[in-house]
Amino acid sequence: MKASALFKLFLLVALCLTVTSYGTRVRAAEPTIPIGILGPFTGSLAFNAEEMKKGMMLAVDDVNAKGGLWGRKIELIFGDTEAKPDKGVAVVKKFITRDKVLVVGGGYASSVNIATSEVCQNEKTPIVVAIAISPTITNRGFDYVFRTSPNSPQFLAGVNEWLEKVKKPKTVAFLMENTDYGRDGEKIWSALSNKIGAKELAHLYFEIGDTDFTTQISKLKELKPEATFNIASTTEAALIQKQAKELNFVTQWIGVGGQFTEAYFKMAGPTCQYAMGSSLEPTLAMKNPIVADFVKRYEAKYQKARPGIFSSQGYDNIMVIMDAIKRAGKPTENLQADRDRIRDALRKTSIELTQGKIEFDKTGQVYTVTPSPVQVQLVDGKPQLFIVYPPARAGAPYQVPLPWDKRK
Amino acid sequence: MESLFLQQVLNGLIVGSVYCLIAIGLTMIFGVMRISNFAHGDFSMLGAYFAIYFVLFLSGWAGWVGSLVVAAIGVGLIGFFVERFLFRPLLTRWTDIDIIMLSIGLFILLENGARLLFGATPKMIPDPFESKTINLLFFSTSEIRLICLLFSGIAIFLLQLFLTKTKTGVAIRATSQNRNAATLMGINISFIYSLTFVVGSALAGLGGVLYGTIFAVFPMMGAVPTLKAFAVTILGGMGNIRGAIFGGFILGVAETLGGNYISMQYKNAIGFVIIILVLLIIPQGLFGGVEKK
Repeated sequence: MKASALFKLFLLVALCLTVTSYGTRVRAAEPTIPIGILGPFTGSLAFNAEEMKKGMMLAVDDVNAKGGLWGRKIELIFGDTEAKPDKGVAVVKKFITRDKVLVVGGGYASSVNIATSEVCQNEKTPIVVAIAISPTITNRGFDYVFRTSPNSPQFLAGVNEWLEKVKKPKTVAFLMENTDYGRDGEKIWSALSNKIGAKELAHLYFEIGDTDFTTQISKLKELKPEATFNIASTTEAALIQKQAKELNFVTQWIGVGGQFTEAYFKMAGPTCQYAMGSSLEPTLAMKNPIVADFVKRYEAKYQKARPGIFSSQGYDNIMVIMDAIKRAGKPTENLQADRDRIRDALRKTSIELTQGKIEFDKTGQVYTVTPSPVQVQLVDGKPQLFIVYPPARAGAPYQVPLPWDKRK
Repeated sequence: MESLFLQQVLNGLIVGSVYCLIAIGLTMIFGVMRISNFAHGDFSMLGAYFAIYFVLFLSGWAGWVGSLVVAAIGVGLIGFFVERFLFRPLLTRWTDIDIIMLSIGLFILLENGARLLFGATPKMIPDPFESKTINLLFFSTSEIRLICLLFSGIAIFLLQLFLTKTKTGVAIRATSQNRNAATLMGINISFIYSLTFVVGSALAGLGGVLYGTIFAVFPMMGAVPTLKAFAVTILGGMGNIRGAIFGGFILGVAETLGGNYISMQYKNAIGFVIIILVLLIIPQGLFGGVEKK
C-alpha cells in the first residue's frame, strides 16, 4: 500500500514537471491576445529555441508593461515541437482549435515548419515563421504563410558569391544534418559546385543529436576536400570542429551560419578558427541604432548575455506579428475574421527591425534581409566573427586555414 | 585505404569503451534485480553535470581526475536512494510493467529536472590536454580520447576483479544466476541489491564524465547512450557482464565501419539492425543471458 502511494506520488511529480516545462502558460483573468509560439524547447536545439524565446519576451514584456494592446495583454503560448514534424503538427492543431490563437509565430527547423505551415494554411490561420531556411515553406503558394527569416538561396547568396569570385575551390565535400535544413543547403551548394566546376568528393549525413562524428571526419580526411559544407546547428557544429582537430583534419569549413551562437564559441573555443558561414549576428551591425538599442536592452534584461542571431530573429518575428495585430485593429468575437484581417495586415508589413527592413513579397517571404559571409578569426586567442566579403562591408581580410600544428 | 580502416576501428573502440561503461551497469542491474532501467543513461548525464560543477573549483588534471571520483560517488549515492526508495518498494509487487513505467517516469523527471536546474545550453567538460592531437603511423587521435579508452579499460578491469576475486563480487554473480539458491546460501539479498545498483549507477556516472569530455553535456544527453546500452546488452546477452564488454566494443566498431563502408545515413540504425538479428537468431545474446523471470 505504502509502495503504491509512493509510486503514485512520484508519477505525479514527474507529470507536473513535464507539464510545466513542456508548455508554460499562465492564463490571465481578462481576455488576452493569444499568440502561439512553436519551437524545439527540449532536445539538442533547446538552447537555440531559448535564445529565440528571450528575444521574443524582450519585445512582449515591453508592450505588456505599457498596458498591452487595447488594454489587453499579449499572451505568448509556447508549444514544444522537439524539432519533430509530427509533434509540431500536434502542437499547432492545439494552438488553432483549443487555444484559439490569432496567429502562430516562432518555429525552428525547416522540416517542422513545412508541416506546421500546411496545417495553418488548411485551418486559415496566419503563421509567421521565425527561423527556418528551406524555400519550400513559402514557395507552395500558401497565402496564410509568412517568413521573417531569409530562405536558403537568400541566406547563402553572399557566401556563394565569395566562393565563386574569391575562393574558387577545386574539390568540395558535404557533411550535413539528415533533415530538410541539411538537404536544402546540399541542393544549393551542389548546384554552385557544378557552376564553378568544383568536384564533389562526398555527401555525408548525420542525425540531430549525434555526438560522434569521427567516422565521417576520418572519411573526409582521406578525401582531402578543399572546402567542406557543414550544415549543422550549434552542438553538432561545435563537436565537429573539435573532432576535426582531434583527427588532424584541415579544410575550409563553410556553414549556413545558424551555428554561430554563444554556446558554439564556448564549446568549440579556438578550434572553430577559420570556419565560415552567413550571418545576421546583431553584434556585427552595432552602427545601426536599432540594433544597438536592441543589444543594449537585451543585455540589461538578461544580465549581460550577448544576443545571438536567434534572439534577434525571435525579436523581429514577434515585432512583425504585434505590428500586424495592431494594424488589423482590436480583436472581435469572430475569430476567423480577426485571423483574416491579421493576414491582410501582415502582407502590408514594412518595418525597420534588427535584421534590417522587413517587407514580404507575394509568397510571404521577406526579401529585404541580406546576410553577409563571415569568418571566425581569433582575437587574443578568443574566437570572433568578422564579415570578410564584399570588400566594402568587410571587417577583416579572409584568412586561409592553416594546418593544426602551425596554429597557435 | 588501410589507414582509413584502422582509423575507423580505433574511432569505434573509443566510442565503444564508453558504451561499455554505461551498458555494464545496465546489464548488472538487470541481471541481479531484473530491472530494465530506462533512466540509466540519465545517471550518466548527472555524472557529467557533477563534473561540470566540480571542475569549476579545481581545474586542470587534478580537477578532471577528481571529477571522475566525484561523479562516481555522487551518482552512486543517487543510485542508492533511487533503489532504496523507488525501485525497492515495487520489487516486492514484482510486475515488470510497473518497474518499466517507473524507470520511464524517472527518465522524464531527470531530463526535465536537469533542464530546469542546469538550463538547456550545451556545455563541455574542459579537456585537461586542450584537445592535443597525436599523429601515429596509421591514424590520428587526441590524448584525451586515448585516456578515456584507458580509464574505461581500468574501470572494467577493476570491476571484473571485484566480481571474480572478492566474496561480495561472487555473491553478486550468484544472485544474478539464481536468486533463491543465493538466499538459501545465506547471501544478504537486500544488501546485494543496493550494492549492485550503486555500482551500476557509479559506472554510468563515470561513463558520463568520459562522454561529456569527448562529446558534450546537455540535459538530453542520456537518451542516446541509453538506447545504445540496451542494444549492447541485448547483443551480449541480458545480464551478462562479459557480454556487455564485448557487445560495447562490437557495437562501436560496427557503427563506424558500417558508417564508413555501407552508409553514413544508417550509422545509427546499425545498432537496431543488430538487435533485431540477435533477437531472431540467438535470442539469448552472443554470450548467453540470464533467464527472464
